[in-house]
Amino acid sequence: MNENFKISPSEINKIKVLNQKDKNFRLESLKLFNQQGFPTRNHEDWKFSDINQIFSKNFKNLESFKNEIKPKSINFIKEFDHNYILMVNGKFENSEFKFEDKNKIKIKSYNDSNFSLNNKENSLINLNNALSNNGLFLEVVDNYRFEKAIIIYNVFTDDLKDNLLNNKNKIILGKNSELHTVEYNINQSKNKFIYNTTENVILNENASLKTINLQANQNEGFFYKFSKGKMKSNSNYSSFIFSSGPKFNKIDAEFDLEGENCDCNIKSALFINRDKHQEIKTKINHLVPNCKSYQKIKSVVDAEGKGVYQGKIYVKDIAQKTNAYQLSKALLLSENSEFNSKPELEIYADDVKCSHGSTSGNVDENSIHYLMTRGLSKKQAVQLLVNGFLNEIIGDIKSNSVRKFIENKIEIQIHGY
Amino acid sequence: MLVIKNLKASINNREILKGLNLKINPGEVHAIMGPNGSGKSTLANVLSGKNGYKISGEVKYLGESLNDIPVEERAQKGIFLAFQYPLEIPGVNTNNFLKTSLNTIKKAKGEKEIDTIAFLELVKEKAKELGIDEKILSRQLNVGFSGGEKKKNEILQMKILDPNLIILDETDSGLDIDALKIISDGVNSSRSEKKSFLVITHYQRLLEYIKPDHVHILSDGKIIKSGTSELALELEKKGYKKLN
Repeated sequence: MNENFKISPSEINKIKVLNQKDKNFRLESLKLFNQQGFPTRNHEDWKFSDINQIFSKNFKNLESFKNEIKPKSINFIKEFDHNYILMVNGKFENSEFKFEDKNKIKIKSYNDSNFSLNNKENSLINLNNALSNNGLFLEVVDNYRFEKAIIIYNVFTDDLKDNLLNNKNKIILGKNSELHTVEYNINQSKNKFIYNTTENVILNENASLKTINLQANQNEGFFYKFSKGKMKSNSNYSSFIFSSGPKFNKIDAEFDLEGENCDCNIKSALFINRDKHQEIKTKINHLVPNCKSYQKIKSVVDAEGKGVYQGKIYVKDIAQKTNAYQLSKALLLSENSEFNSKPELEIYADDVKCSHGSTSGNVDENSIHYLMTRGLSKKQAVQLLVNGFLNEIIGDIKSNSVRKFIENKIEIQIHGY
Repeated sequence: MLVIKNLKASINNREILKGLNLKINPGEVHAIMGPNGSGKSTLANVLSGKNGYKISGEVKYLGESLNDIPVEERAQKGIFLAFQYPLEIPGVNTNNFLKTSLNTIKKAKGEKEIDTIAFLELVKEKAKELGIDEKILSRQLNVGFSGGEKKKNEILQMKILDPNLIILDETDSGLDIDALKIISDGVNSSRSEKKSFLVITHYQRLLEYIKPDHVHILSDGKIIKSGTSELALELEKKGYKKLN
């Protein structure tokens, strides 16, 4: 690996650590990272996304901290009422819960070294454990259902250049509580930087979390998000991932279904153009009986773009009556476009329903012709077909105002193609 | 309106149209009948500008050669093909598509684009004429439509886009008598001095509803016989083989 990417232990002195234990944990994590380096394709989980090579190609130096500056003016969403949380370069800045009972919500900067995910396999998590600070901690108490969604404005300032940002968030939903979040990434930097984030989600009995992650504006950012979820009985998780903007984006979700009758949904629409690289990697662990999981990933790849889906469903021997589904469909618009799909089922129970499928292909010439006989140019016809292809995912968003907002953002991207 | 001279078309080195001649004047309805494999659908495809054919000869539309005119420009100039098998386009709302199509054509003609309210009124009126349930227009284009609904949707598009030269490629296939009558009424009510129709069909049945001015028999890539609607009746009695 590139020697420049070794990170000096003195960097940890720049963090306001909690105590000696915290500091030791960070030093140990950093040591591990420096031994491992960024993952390469030799690692199964990074088979199609050799991030070591990608980073070496794009960065000479990486600086892990920088002086804090205020973001330029932000276009807050006006299309629908919402609460908000503002994050700047991965740090929690402020929040407003205009529509909620504030006593039911705990929110603060997240600084907790008990969140130990030290990982022999994934060096990015070790890096994150070493350097992250001031992320987001959000807890909703039992029996509280949010009136309106929270928009998490994830802003990246325009001075970012060759930076390595580490952020760690934690979201806990109490029993019978309900929350809808939209993670809205706004990137003001025109330069390259890395954002390495780790998220810990805990859904207690009968809790429901709906989350939308939107990465729509064209940018030079390299994003990696590791999301670890634990679901108690009767809880519900539904995630929509819409990504079309960043140069690199890998979302790595690992969910443990620990209580019966959980429902875990991951749906994604990716539009990958230019020389962009995007990956969705999932691991759904069915650990108890009677749970459902559903994954549908639709990707459109144009030009020199590369898309990856690695999805694993694990069903433990006792997890009878599991119902697990995964499907990946990719549309390739150019001869140079690439899509890799690696669906995996690892099943140890005998009374389960698991299905998976994966297809990739070009846009149907006859469909293009049909639309052109109605006056549309080839470009318009392809755009319409691409839109239609991704609409199958977008159309599943229940809230009309949110759906329209997302539809617009995605359409702008497709029309720029 | 349309003048075709010695049109030859081949695909994958196989010649399908072998020197076809045809002249259609404004306001006329021409029917082309022919057995399977005679080149009927190829003629429709070639007139629509579909890629993949090697073409020689001349096709003139309103005095202008179509040879180098791409598909969408033909549509913008007023050529409309109603497909034998309309394609299903998942994820694309029928109304949105129709509006995009109409406005693209209007823009190309230098006309003012239609706004959503006026468009919806227009669609409502035309859909009613064709007995189309408005609900299907907010569904995905042709997805889950019955055979009859797909064909009616083609005629609806024709009515909305208001073209000059209309090619109906086996529009009658797969239709029951009621749907056939509605579609024929839809076509007949669009007939005018300015519009011309080229009706491609296997069977004389459709021509009982849409009365053609001229009937042509296509066989092995050429028109071998032309006449009035009597020719269609004769064909119905004798079959294609005896006409040769």
